[in-house]
Amino acid sequence: MSALPSVSTVAERPLLKRTVAVNRQPGRVVLQHLRDEIELEGAAAQLFSKMEAQLDGKTPVDAIAAGLKEKPARLRALLGQLEKAGVVSLLSANDDAKLTTGMEFYAIHRERCLYWLEDVYRHPLWEKIVTGKASRAQVLGFAFEKYHYIEAAFEHMGIAASNASPEMMPHLARHFIEEYTHGDIYRRGLRSLFPDDIILHSQPLPSTRALVNYLNECAARSSFAYYAGNELLQMTENTGDSDAGKSVDDFYGAMRKHYPYTDKLIDSFIAHTKADQALGHADAFVLMCESVPPLTRREVNDALNVAKNMAEHLVLFMDGIDTFYDRFATVPRLPCDLKSE
Amino acid sequence: MSISHRQFRAKRVYEVTPRGGQRELRLSDRIVELGDQEFDWYQKVRSWLPSIRGLADLSKDLAMDEAKVPKFLEALEKSGLLYRVESPDKPMTGLEFHGAFSGILSSWLSEAFEHPFWERMMSGRGSARLFTGWLIELYHYTKNANRHMPLSCAQSHEKPIKQLRAKHYAEEWNHYHYFMKSLKALGFTEPQIADSVPLPMTLALSNFMRQAARHDVLAYSVCSAVLEGTTTDRGTYSPYYQKSADLYGVPQDAVTPIFAHLDLDVKYQHSDLFRDILETVPVMPPERASLVLDYGHQLVEHIWLWTDNIEKYYQVDSNLVPRRPFDVVLD
Repeated sequence: MSALPSVSTVAERPLLKRTVAVNRQPGRVVLQHLRDEIELEGAAAQLFSKMEAQLDGKTPVDAIAAGLKEKPARLRALLGQLEKAGVVSLLSANDDAKLTTGMEFYAIHRERCLYWLEDVYRHPLWEKIVTGKASRAQVLGFAFEKYHYIEAAFEHMGIAASNASPEMMPHLARHFIEEYTHGDIYRRGLRSLFPDDIILHSQPLPSTRALVNYLNECAARSSFAYYAGNELLQMTENTGDSDAGKSVDDFYGAMRKHYPYTDKLIDSFIAHTKADQALGHADAFVLMCESVPPLTRREVNDALNVAKNMAEHLVLFMDGIDTFYDRFATVPRLPCDLKSE
Repeated sequence: MSISHRQFRAKRVYEVTPRGGQRELRLSDRIVELGDQEFDWYQKVRSWLPSIRGLADLSKDLAMDEAKVPKFLEALEKSGLLYRVESPDKPMTGLEFHGAFSGILSSWLSEAFEHPFWERMMSGRGSARLFTGWLIELYHYTKNANRHMPLSCAQSHEKPIKQLRAKHYAEEWNHYHYFMKSLKALGFTEPQIADSVPLPMTLALSNFMRQAARHDVLAYSVCSAVLEGTTTDRGTYSPYYQKSADLYGVPQDAVTPIFAHLDLDVKYQHSDLFRDILETVPVMPPERASLVLDYGHQLVEHIWLWTDNIEKYYQVDSNLVPRRPFDVVLD
């Protein structure tokens, strides 16, 4: 798992991960973590229940065993299984010194991001659009905010490339060069309804600005953490997987049905997806992870916190469209001037 | 005379109130009354203005003879609901700009604070949890002043403005301690708060201030002025904090530091800072004046969404308070 071997003489202190939910049922215990459920039955369930209160990351295994009058080996066997299942960490003094390879990070990142993205996919705005309950302002606002986000490649990808670490520079340079024209694809769709100068001068919502500014700030500070966050956003794009492709097609189909004026806009969304698929962006992050030197716990946490925050910013992006355009139904949003106020 | 949608834009309407078969539309400087049909027409004009559709389309939407449409648009202009884009703005002095800003600030603040959260809190439908959440995010926002205030000094080019911005920073940089005191009175420990993670919209506020600081120090200063505008007199903030304390059993020890902080702002006369800065600006071309104004209004919209973000997160009982950072070993 790590570049440095763990030292067996260091006392391990088991911790039930803070994000695990424990559900007790007659004769069994169900541990929920991320998208997994681990079921313990019979003796395993009993032993877990006995030691659960002491899985605080402060008490060594031997001390727990002595307190419970259990054999340490029995505890270790169960804890080892629970660690493998990802619900328990065996803390030791070496934790901060452990290094994680880029590819190990890739696996952890992917697992976590799929979980963090669930809130984005559950957002009520999708359902409102699919059922025709979203207002005209929300639907057009959705198109404008997507445009602003994609157009902001100029900002965050430019900042990322210009602040890149040596091993990340070729990836970030290539990504910027491949993406900076994509805002124009969305603009073409918007031009079916609005004049070009209005689109160019229109202003994103604060929530979209929040997402872009967060990307900008990360891009200036850490190439790897920035891309770990950007990768979460890339994971929401349809990369050609047939299940995901079908749900995207269904979404656009419903949107065309309920909002016929969005026909050309949807064509532009699809054109953008195809452009992304043709570029093979799905592989970019694997290549980056292969090329980075092993990461410290601090670096891993930094990059994963950026990815988690990015998911929260993406929920905010959806919230902004849903809530703000519902309350302030002006679209497109033009900047104010001396006379507008 | 030919007329097109590119000639007009809609003025900002801050509130629409139905009243006796009419609608009252509140602008920053007047109230315009429209009947049901006129209001419907006005809304159609508003969505037509930024579109690619022609005058004939609007005439069809309004069921109005095309020849009569220009007259209707001019009537809307006369009422103050539309304005002409092409009439040129003149350069103005910094103080003239301050006059214009002061004239609209109260409308902006009413927009920023019209989020239903405030009414909910004041009417007893809020909770101690929401009050706590608001305080935690205020702590982060105030601490994050260290991310944007010194940046605004670094990006200023005029000595007098640098000086004023630096003085403001020197007076404000550690004010987050007031909120820490309040939160400790609510039972939190210092590390719990100091190591916690702000909501995305709280972070967005300071990131937006950083963006403004990099763009134009006056754009930054107008944002700062909007925020300081909320603390010009005790009447604007006292009722919320005191009533929340009474309604939700918030201990007085948690409220006292907040008042102390706000009193300090008043003592430093931070609400006058924008005027002091603008006094040093001899001339503002209309493009710069519009840009600065636009930053101010964007900040208003940020405050509204910030409030929304706080309410949505803290009203869910299962959400962690305070929010802790992710750790690959512990989580």
